[in-house]
Amino acid sequence: MMGGAISAPSLVAMLQGCSTGPSAGSPFVLSADYQTLVAELAEVIIPKTDTPGAKEAQVGSIIEVMLKDCYSSLQQEHFLKGLEDVEVESKKIGGKFVDLTADQKVEVVKIMVQKAKDESVQNEEKAKQVDTESGLTKEEQKKKDEVEVPVPFFRILKELTLFGYFTSEPGATQALDFVPIPGRYEGCMKMEPGQKAYAL
Amino acid sequence: MYIQGNAKEQNSYDAIVVGSGISGGWAAKELAEKGLKVLMLDRGRHIEHVSGYETAMKESWEFPHRGRVDLKTKEEYWAGVRTGYTANEEHRHHFEKDIDHPYEEKRRFDWIRGYHTGGRSLMWGRQSYRWNERDFTANLEEGVGVDWPIRYKDLAPWYAYVEKFAGISGNKDGLDVLPDSDFQPGMELNCVEKELKKAVEGKMAGRHVIIGRVAHLTAPTAEQTALGRGSCQYRNRCMRGCPYGAYFSTQSATLPAANKTGNLTLINDKIVYEVIFDDEKKKATGVRAIDQNTKEVIEYYGKIVFLNAGAVNSAWIMMQSKSKTHPNGLGNASDQLGRNVMDHHLAVGASGTYEGFEDMYYFGRRPNGIYIPRFTNWGSDKRDFLRGFGYQGGASRGRGTKTELEFGADFKSAMTQVGPWGIGIQGFGETLPDPNNRMTLTDKKDQWGLPIIEFDAAWGDNEWKMRETMMTEAANMLEAAGVKNISTYHDKEKSPGIGIHEMGTARMGRDPKTSVLNPNNQVWGAENVFVTDGAAMVSSSCVNPSLTYMALTARAADFAVQELKRMNM
Repeated sequence: MMGGAISAPSLVAMLQGCSTGPSAGSPFVLSADYQTLVAELAEVIIPKTDTPGAKEAQVGSIIEVMLKDCYSSLQQEHFLKGLEDVEVESKKIGGKFVDLTADQKVEVVKIMVQKAKDESVQNEEKAKQVDTESGLTKEEQKKKDEVEVPVPFFRILKELTLFGYFTSEPGATQALDFVPIPGRYEGCMKMEPGQKAYAL
Repeated sequence: MYIQGNAKEQNSYDAIVVGSGISGGWAAKELAEKGLKVLMLDRGRHIEHVSGYETAMKESWEFPHRGRVDLKTKEEYWAGVRTGYTANEEHRHHFEKDIDHPYEEKRRFDWIRGYHTGGRSLMWGRQSYRWNERDFTANLEEGVGVDWPIRYKDLAPWYAYVEKFAGISGNKDGLDVLPDSDFQPGMELNCVEKELKKAVEGKMAGRHVIIGRVAHLTAPTAEQTALGRGSCQYRNRCMRGCPYGAYFSTQSATLPAANKTGNLTLINDKIVYEVIFDDEKKKATGVRAIDQNTKEVIEYYGKIVFLNAGAVNSAWIMMQSKSKTHPNGLGNASDQLGRNVMDHHLAVGASGTYEGFEDMYYFGRRPNGIYIPRFTNWGSDKRDFLRGFGYQGGASRGRGTKTELEFGADFKSAMTQVGPWGIGIQGFGETLPDPNNRMTLTDKKDQWGLPIIEFDAAWGDNEWKMRETMMTEAANMLEAAGVKNISTYHDKEKSPGIGIHEMGTARMGRDPKTSVLNPNNQVWGAENVFVTDGAAMVSSSCVNPSLTYMALTARAADFAVQELKRMNM
């Protein structure tokens, strides 16, 4: 096997990769408004602190690239519906998401977090139902038919925000411990106070 | 189109080496150092050492998808994506697009290829282990396949010879199941791995946890330094090509050594598809190749030919090499050519988390892990299957501590913290030779008009039984070390080929009725043709095979030159 031994956690990370299923129809593009919205949402997840936030790391644009090139049209559409929903919830408490106060933005994101949780529970319940004809659970049937269930909006937004941020130059070099050429290996080292995780 | 542009003399050499990977590089180096004029042919493009490693110094943000696989790539690398790592963006260009090099699957086969100077020596896993004495006698003792025509003692001096040149890092562990190599200093275990070692060796007799033995320089010799090689820098970006020449590859080691002799000619882009056999002289006179870009057909002539195209492609060339003397393909009177395809079966093991050593970390990205040598059917251990398996794995700390938060400054802070310790071990099991596991040529042609291969192979009963044990014993050992949240896995979809250790398609033996190669890796009935890549293997052991290919190649090259001097060829 190539690449030598791989530890379990990194193996899991690799297997996650991009979701399956070919993309069809018109190419995925975000409007200028939605580009701004995604960047704003990412900044709420990873705000600027003593280190750069998601905006400075241009996480919005990598999210768009990843959705366009690595995800199915079903997942892309589900993401766009999520963005629409963010604006619907925003309007209820004041206006467009970008124009809300910081506290209001947090309120909207909390709603989206809850919706993603509810959606996951629903997906799990659906998957457990047994199809009367085939005798398989919906999950088994879906696996058999290769039916894709899209990941809830906030979950994929959060996942791609973290991925985009920690693989960006500001994220990797300022928010993590960045050692491009270690030059040596030390197996057991006492951690210094304030030690951050290594950027890979 | 058939052009023979050059005069025959211009295309004539003492020796032709087909393929420039691990074994081809060794053949070229050995033959050139012994004074032969050597032509090494590779079917792919040239990749220059260091300057040709286009992604070696790139950081994550310099890749369009930050390393991940996009949907277009999934279609282009339909077999490559099955490994879960070879099609990643950082090193994808070192692997072939499967749509450009199609193959057929009667039963699924995961064939991962790299066509360029250095072949898969650029991307190999670098784990390097000697076989043990019983690896060479097990077939005979158990009545499996055919007997190896050589024993450990025949190969031991050649192991030492190649190890000194290649540079193998490891510790002298003194285990008969895993004979020690001629080592450079071993890499260190981390805290949790040391704990696993203590627990397993203390509680489970006959089991050992050691640092992996890898072809990385940790204390370069004068010979290695003179070739421009330096110590490992612990970046763990090896598959992109190493700018320090720290791991063994054709580019870092055998190619510069061969070039120093002034006897080597390397020609790229030439797909060798046939060995030219003279029925009157009863020997090969050269090879026939097609240029991958111009599709021009060219012949090259040599006194001896080394086939090192990789187990599958060396057999593919031999199958196309039909003559009056060899009507079923070169050396195929036995009908064993293309049969007995072996690999190592993997993707089964266990992982968990470790509580403790919360204040301990490590420095550097070690391109290596732990190794747990075979313990089944060894000593007093007896199982309901034959042979055994080893584990590769390791412990590490991830990024991010557990939090209920979903976003915001505190969430961000938690995500940057050093995460909990995780530990995992994965089995690598021996595969038994089975004549029904095979590759054949179809009537379909590739873009060069050459026959497309069909695979028909699967894991056998012995492998499936072994896998159950691989899974449960992995969990047992982690449990012995107090690992928490242990989960086991057993991927039943991954198929032969997935270990990228294809072996056995032109096996050695003692009898031309049951084997393709003789005890010196010569093709039966075409004794000036040598095959010293994975095709030659008679059984598979459970350890990574490349070190054994190196030793077999150096041994065969030495024999070939002696025979040439004796005018036996």
